[in-house]
Amino acid sequence: MEIPYEVTARRDTGLYNAKIGIWLFLASEVMLFGGLFSAYVFLRVGVIDGVDTPWPLGLDVHKQFVWIGFVNTIVLIASSVFVVFAWVSLKERNYQRFQIWMVAVVLCAAAFMVNKFIEYKNKLTEHHGIKLVDNSVMEGKIVHDTEKIKFAADSLNVPLQGGLPAFLGDFEGDFPAFKAVYVGKEEEGKEPVKIEKSGSSAGDFADWFYEARRQVAEDLAEERKKLRDAKKEGKTYQMKPVPTKGTVTPAAGEGGESEPFVLRPDNRKMVNYSRSEDGPDKLNYIDAVTVDGKVLADKIEYELHEINLQQVPITKQDSAKLWEIFESQGHGYVKDEFMEHQAERIQELRTKFKDKPIPAKVMQSAFVNLIEAHLHEPKTGEKKGGGDVHGEKAKVNPAADDGHDKKDDHGDGHHGHYTVLIDRGDVKFFGNHGPRYGNYYAIYFTMTALHGLHVVGGALVLAYFLIFGKKLYLKNPEHLANRVEVGGLFWHFVDLVWIFLFPIMYLL
Amino acid sequence: MADSLSPEELAKHKKSYTAVGIALLVFTCITLALGIWPPLDLGVPGATWEDVVIGLTVAGVKASLVALIFMHLNHEKSLIYKFLLFTFFFFLGLMFLTLFALWDPIREAIDSYYTRG
Repeated sequence: MEIPYEVTARRDTGLYNAKIGIWLFLASEVMLFGGLFSAYVFLRVGVIDGVDTPWPLGLDVHKQFVWIGFVNTIVLIASSVFVVFAWVSLKERNYQRFQIWMVAVVLCAAAFMVNKFIEYKNKLTEHHGIKLVDNSVMEGKIVHDTEKIKFAADSLNVPLQGGLPAFLGDFEGDFPAFKAVYVGKEEEGKEPVKIEKSGSSAGDFADWFYEARRQVAEDLAEERKKLRDAKKEGKTYQMKPVPTKGTVTPAAGEGGESEPFVLRPDNRKMVNYSRSEDGPDKLNYIDAVTVDGKVLADKIEYELHEINLQQVPITKQDSAKLWEIFESQGHGYVKDEFMEHQAERIQELRTKFKDKPIPAKVMQSAFVNLIEAHLHEPKTGEKKGGGDVHGEKAKVNPAADDGHDKKDDHGDGHHGHYTVLIDRGDVKFFGNHGPRYGNYYAIYFTMTALHGLHVVGGALVLAYFLIFGKKLYLKNPEHLANRVEVGGLFWHFVDLVWIFLFPIMYLL
Repeated sequence: MADSLSPEELAKHKKSYTAVGIALLVFTCITLALGIWPPLDLGVPGATWEDVVIGLTVAGVKASLVALIFMHLNHEKSLIYKFLLFTFFFFLGLMFLTLFALWDPIREAIDSYYTRG
C-alpha cells in the first residue's frame, strides 16, 4: 500500500506528513527538556544558601571540564551545519556529496560521545569529595581502599526480627567460623529455650537465624495472646519480656584459636561507630546490629586538590575541622594562606561594591570562601608526619613520612597534590562525583545523559539513511531528501538543547 | 520547504548555512570567554544576575539562529507555528513553576538562617 503524502504536501496543511509528525514530537521534547531546565533553575537559585553540596563552579575540578564542553559544542554545531549540507546535496541530486556530509555528521556524533565518556569516567572514578562534620568540603581523590572501615568484631548483637542482617556480606576473606546463641524468655519453673549453632557458612547462619526468629515470633505471639485472654476475663496480665536479640561470636576455626571477625562494612550500611578508652569500640549497623570490638583502620588516604568552605559560616571558618587535620599532619600553613587569600578576596569585594554593603549572598557564596589548596613542603620547624590523630601510627599511609615530597604536578607548576589522612569519624559524607554527590551532579548527569541518548538516537537514524539510503534515492530522491530533512530537524533540536546545556552546566 | 528548489535558491541556502555556522562558532567563543575570561566576570563563583542574563541571551541568539535558519522556521507553514505557539505557552508555564517555588516562605526562612553569618 502506498502511504500518502510522504513526498508531496497535503493540500490542507501544505506539508508532507512526516514533517508534521516530527514537529509534534519536537514539541513534546521541548516539554521534556523544559521540565528538566525548570528543575535546574530551581536547584541553581537555591544553592547559594549552602543547604546542598556547593555548586562546583570556580573549583579547579570543575574548570577542567569546561574545555570538553566547549569542544563538544563546536562538534555539535559543525554536525548541524553538515546535516543541512547533506540535505542540500540531495536537493542538488548529488548522492556522493550527501554521503560525505553524512559521514561527517556521524563522526561528529561519535566524537561527542567519546568526549562525554571521558568526562563521565573522570567524574566517576578520578574525583571524590569529602564533606567533614562541620560542612567543610575537600576535593581530591581517595587513593586507598581505606574508605571502608576495618573493624575486628568480638561479638555481634543481632536483632531476630526482619530479614537477614547486612553484616553477612562484610567479612574480609571467607565466611568465618562462628557460634550463635539465642536465649529465650524466662519463665518460672522452666529452663529458657536456648537455640545454639556453630558453623562456618552463611547457610549455617541463616538456619540459626530463622529458627531463632521463629522462636521470638512465637513467644511474642504467646505473650500477646495471654494479654488478650486476660483482658477478656477482665484480669490484668504483666507481659513477660521476650528477648529479641541473639549473640554471634567467633568460634575456634581449623587453627584451633578463635580470632575476631574482620568486618569491612560499606559506608551506607553503618549508622556510626565509636571508640572507647576503657571498653570495646562499638559499631552500629543501620539494621540495628551492634558490634563490639576494635577499630583496626579507618583512615581515608586522600590526595587533596582543593578546599571549599562555602558551607561553613564565615565566623566559623577560623575553627573549621579541616585545619585541625592539616595541623596534625604538618600542613598548618594552609590555614594561614587561606585566611590571607580570603582577606584579599574581601578587599576585592569591598572595592567592587564601593560604599554599598556587600550582599549577604555574595559574601556567603564562593567569592570569599573558596580557595585552591596549595600544599607545599612544610617550613622548617613545623611538625612533620601524619595520621596520628588517635595515637595510631598510620600504617595505611605509605606517604605519611615522606608524603610531602610526593609532589605531583599536573603540568601547571604550582598545584601540589598531597596525601592527607582523614579520620572517618570526622567525615559526614564522601563520594565520587556521581549523581548522589550533590544537586549539581544529579541534574548534570540527568540532563547530559538524556541529551547523550538523543545524540546516539539521532546518529543511528542518520547513519541508517547513510547506509541504506541508496535504494530509496534511486526510487525517489525527493523522498530521501524529506527523510533527511526530518532527521536533520531532530538533530538540530539536539544541538539546540546543547547550546543551552553548555553555559548552564559549565559556566553559570 | 517547497518540493523543488532552483539552483539559485540552493546556492543562497548554502551561503546562509555557512554564515550561520560561522556565527554560531563565534558566539560559542563569546560564551566561553564570558565564562573563563575574568574581565567579563561570568563564571566567577557567585555569578550575578547580569552574568546569567548575558550568558543566556547569547545562548538564546544561538538557539534562534539554529531554529530560524537550520530548522527553516523563518519560512514555515502556519500549522507548525500554531503547534509551537502551544509549546511556547506551556514551556513558559514550566519555567514559572520555578518562580512560584521562589516565593516559598520556608525557603525564605532557610535563607535568613544561612545568611546571617
